[in-house]
Amino acid sequence: MREAISVPYFGASLKEWLFTTDHKKIGILYLTTSYIFFLVAGLFGLIIRLEQTSPGIQYVQPDFYNYLLTGHGAVLLLWWAIASHIGGFGNFLLPLMIGAKDVAFPRLNALSWWAFFGASVLVLLTLIPGNHIKMMWTGYPPYSTTGDAGVTALYVFIIHLIGVSSIATAVNFITTYIKMRAPGINFWNTNMFVHCLIAANVIQLVGVPSLAGAVTMLLLDKYLGTNFYNPTKGGDPLLYQNVFWFYSHPVVYVQILPVFGFFSELVPTFARRPLFGYKTMIFAVWGITLLSFMVWIHHMFVSGVPDWARVIMSYTTILIAVPTGIKIFNWMGTLHGGAIILRSPMLYALGGIFMFLIGGLTGIPNSMVAIDLGISDSLFIVGHFHYVLGMALTLGLFGAIIYWFPKMTGRMYPEGLGKLSFWLTFIGANLFYFFQMVVGMLGNPRRYPDYPPIPEWVTLHQIQTLGALILGLGVLVFTIGIIKGLLSGEKAPDNPWQSQSLEWRIPSPAPVDNFGEEHPKVEPDYHPYKYGAPPAF
Amino acid sequence: MEQVFAYPAKWWSEAVTVWLVVAVVIYVIVAIPGLYFIMKYRFKPGEREIGDHEKHGHWGLEALWTIVPTIIVLVLATYSFAVFKKQRTAPPDAMTIKVTGFMWGWQTEYLDEKGNTIKTVVTSFNPTSYEVPEDQKIVVPAGKPVKALLTSLDVIHSFYVMPARITEDMVPGRITHLWFQINKPGEYWIFCREFCGTGHSHMFTKLKVVPPEQFALWLKGETNLADKSSQIKGNL
Ligand SMILES: [Cu+2]
Repeated sequence: MREAISVPYFGASLKEWLFTTDHKKIGILYLTTSYIFFLVAGLFGLIIRLEQTSPGIQYVQPDFYNYLLTGHGAVLLLWWAIASHIGGFGNFLLPLMIGAKDVAFPRLNALSWWAFFGASVLVLLTLIPGNHIKMMWTGYPPYSTTGDAGVTALYVFIIHLIGVSSIATAVNFITTYIKMRAPGINFWNTNMFVHCLIAANVIQLVGVPSLAGAVTMLLLDKYLGTNFYNPTKGGDPLLYQNVFWFYSHPVVYVQILPVFGFFSELVPTFARRPLFGYKTMIFAVWGITLLSFMVWIHHMFVSGVPDWARVIMSYTTILIAVPTGIKIFNWMGTLHGGAIILRSPMLYALGGIFMFLIGGLTGIPNSMVAIDLGISDSLFIVGHFHYVLGMALTLGLFGAIIYWFPKMTGRMYPEGLGKLSFWLTFIGANLFYFFQMVVGMLGNPRRYPDYPPIPEWVTLHQIQTLGALILGLGVLVFTIGIIKGLLSGEKAPDNPWQSQSLEWRIPSPAPVDNFGEEHPKVEPDYHPYKYGAPPAF
Repeated sequence: MEQVFAYPAKWWSEAVTVWLVVAVVIYVIVAIPGLYFIMKYRFKPGEREIGDHEKHGHWGLEALWTIVPTIIVLVLATYSFAVFKKQRTAPPDAMTIKVTGFMWGWQTEYLDEKGNTIKTVVTSFNPTSYEVPEDQKIVVPAGKPVKALLTSLDVIHSFYVMPARITEDMVPGRITHLWFQINKPGEYWIFCREFCGTGHSHMFTKLKVVPPEQFALWLKGETNLADKSSQIKGNL
């Protein structure tokens, strides 16, 4: 019987884990690593937040604060926001959703993982005093070429390893989607998550070389005496910013598109109805992908680039609101006329969409260059991207973790802890980031461990800290839920959410050989969101 | 007519208000129906077990929520473009200062029409407090546009004139610019908002806005502005 081989992943031997080329195990390796890094970087964030509760230096000296801030940004962006859903969920779900046995190049996939693992080890090395990197995740020269910035080389090698991993994964996933779909799976009945994942990997493929180039020149400048960015020898520090943001802006879509995918999987399942506007959703995804490479100057609106460049990219940037708006409207359209079940993954998805709505609306002033001149590099932008990349993304990922937990582990995530952690996280995050935007609007610069004792600022910082503590508690409860689910969670049925999508047709946890044959049989009218019958629970 | 406090802050605040109104309206239009759907279309065993599975989309609605937002954002971007032009173009009668950032302080030079330096003020690093010694404040006349030419000696900094709501980076090897005009005498914050290392959060100074006649005296070195009597005289 097929059930016999469905041993939970933690039942596999250490040797199997070390030498695995199985997309599911690699996915879980990515996800576990990212989650641990998320907790550590989140803790960094909490210390950063506590330091700002009142003016003056309380807990950490500015140099250490700068290290915490650099680590917080880099790890959450590259581990939590990319590796967890590209490497983690992407690996686990892509072959299952398209009915394949594995990815196209399983050994290349293992190489991606080990390159990523190498980068993770380098990140841990920065924890050693003396190895701190203090130049922020953006690493702007000339600052990053000074001694004050810390060990720039470590940063460059981390980016290189992550880059190798990302490019290999992108090639692998795109090939897998093109060549390995089960007969019957086509462009118009592919899961939204897969559409989003492939779009994200196209961005990776086009963009990562640009970032790698930017940091390589940084390395040469700092250690080998070249002058790419040295203005006293004919170089230009703005060159770095251009090459850096050419990738590092599109990367926010690498981070958020798969989360749009999660929302699009979860909302129809729990509204028991087809995804509204499925086709326009696909156009929206590719529209975002295309536009994402035409907007990078909005990170440089006050950097001294020519005014005409700022105006052009102000238009292209604000246009991104259109496809992202379409997605929000379509999720609302899916809710309309549904039979909505508010289980914890759905709460997380709806909460994430709500955060994204605020995040989107507060993105508009950053794209309107006239407003940006007054709020650039203030805490407003920090609050804004924590709504989008911080919380919409984290809520989406938490929802996804609960939702696919049964397929990954064979057990259910405890529902009570799921709901409790949702409300704590959601309330805490809104309290925190909303008032962070307010204090930013009032002028508070970002990346400040200390600030003048302006009374309104102090009050707003205290509210933020309260929010951050509630948020931290929410993450703690969610983490306890994972451990409890793994140890003593209810045994999961094959399809606990009564989803129509392909990955739920196999036993829980997913067997080593997926569908047991090369491809599963896909009926001619298969669609992942064909919710026409009442659920069997 | 109401007295304008500062430029380009006035236009900036108007733009923020426009955005805020648009954002709140869109928010209400999306969030209220969203919440209503979640309340109304709830799964009820035996009663409501399947959603509306016939409706996969609605081309009219989908076209509507593509076209209307496109128009809204294009209007917003064009409005922002118009404001941006005013923010970036200093009035012809502006006086010029040149501010050079360094780790972590500022050097402000007052230039005459020919570009020669008349007076220099250096604000030095103060890692422990947010007080600025009187002779290290950047002094400008009230009611007169000031064009600031910006550059840096070492790493990238930025020059944020808080009352005027305007920022521009200070990039080594380049001269960037911004302009502002504060109409009400007083003391205001200036911050560096581009990350520049250990002392970043203490890279600040005070902008001291004084009546023009007093500024003229100060520029000639005839008052240090600390003397209360000269201030009162100036205000008269
Ligand atoms: Cu600075």
